[in-house]
Amino acid sequence: MRDKFVLVQPWLTLLARLILGGVLIVAGALKVGNLQKSAMAVRAYEMLPIWLANLFGYVLPWIEIGIGSLLVVGALVKINGLLGALIMLAFIIAIAQAWARGLSIDCGCFGGGGSIDPEDTKYLSEIIRDIGLLGLGVFLYFYPKGRFALDK
Amino acid sequence: MATSNSGDKGTRNLVIIMVGFIVTVGVVFSIISNRASSNFEIPAAVSPTDGYGIVLNPTATPKIDVYVDYQCPACRAFELMNGGYLNEVIVQNKAKVVFHPMTFIGPESILAANAAACSADENRFVDMNLALFQNQPAGENTGKWGNETLIALGNSVGITSEKFKQCVNDGKYVKWTRNITVESGKRNVNSTPTILINGKPLDRNTEYGDPAKFRAALEAAGIK
Repeated sequence: MRDKFVLVQPWLTLLARLILGGVLIVAGALKVGNLQKSAMAVRAYEMLPIWLANLFGYVLPWIEIGIGSLLVVGALVKINGLLGALIMLAFIIAIAQAWARGLSIDCGCFGGGGSIDPEDTKYLSEIIRDIGLLGLGVFLYFYPKGRFALDK
Repeated sequence: MATSNSGDKGTRNLVIIMVGFIVTVGVVFSIISNRASSNFEIPAAVSPTDGYGIVLNPTATPKIDVYVDYQCPACRAFELMNGGYLNEVIVQNKAKVVFHPMTFIGPESILAANAAACSADENRFVDMNLALFQNQPAGENTGKWGNETLIALGNSVGITSEKFKQCVNDGKYVKWTRNITVESGKRNVNSTPTILINGKPLDRNTEYGDPAKFRAALEAAGIK
């Protein structure tokens, strides 16, 4: 059992890197093209002071692209896995508090965002998806060594 | 996999540096290119203290703020439903009305907002505003709204001056839309349309989609 894991783990790490990294790159790339909307999406969570929410809206897509790219090529996997997990944790908290407070917003995870009709919210599926991605980030933190990586 | 460990490390570090560089440049560029400035060219009807919006009837009360994006379908629905009454209010000088053309839907929203601002300089903003919504393309940034189309749209509401044409073609007020973005952000406007009466938002669930309730809300603010 243990031997089998040792054999499979580098491939699991590769898979986790590609999924988490790929999702982050796509999420970032879709937002970079319209940063006004991105800032609006962050503001709509009503968690941060407006100036900070706007700054996040402009900066976060680039950070996502950066972390995603490094994960895909397998550089600094341990740190980037942790950062990816922390970002997902922040998203989960943000979405959960919006849900709990009864805000009607789109998570803005892949572009879009802002206030929407209450019946159009899909907080549960967004949170479940982010928990899955959080899990991948944690896995990468503990098992950063994988196939086809720049890290040695 | 590879055997030359030092060469691999070099590649790895180079990749890390490159990614870090791209992220840094991206962040800096994004922040700079979205910054507002009081030095940008603004239409004559724009008041910096009213969130850089286009002000009609500056001395009247109460104050109605209208936040729209010319590509937003809900704004079109609102304009077609309540715009007629709002325009009556404007014509009869019963309220100070401030229009904030937001541009978060993308490049064609910016072109449309610029054209609307150019029409304000011709004192035809209300007509142009309506014409833009009436001719809103189906779908976002489809390529249907270019400067030529927008100039033609201006012509259709009677704006024929060379100055208007030049204003649209030059994108004279394109940078001004950044000020609108920053100011509406400061006021926490996160969806369109958003209508504020004396700073207080209308009820999103009832007062936007029902002309009678919209009238009632204006009436409650003293617009008879």
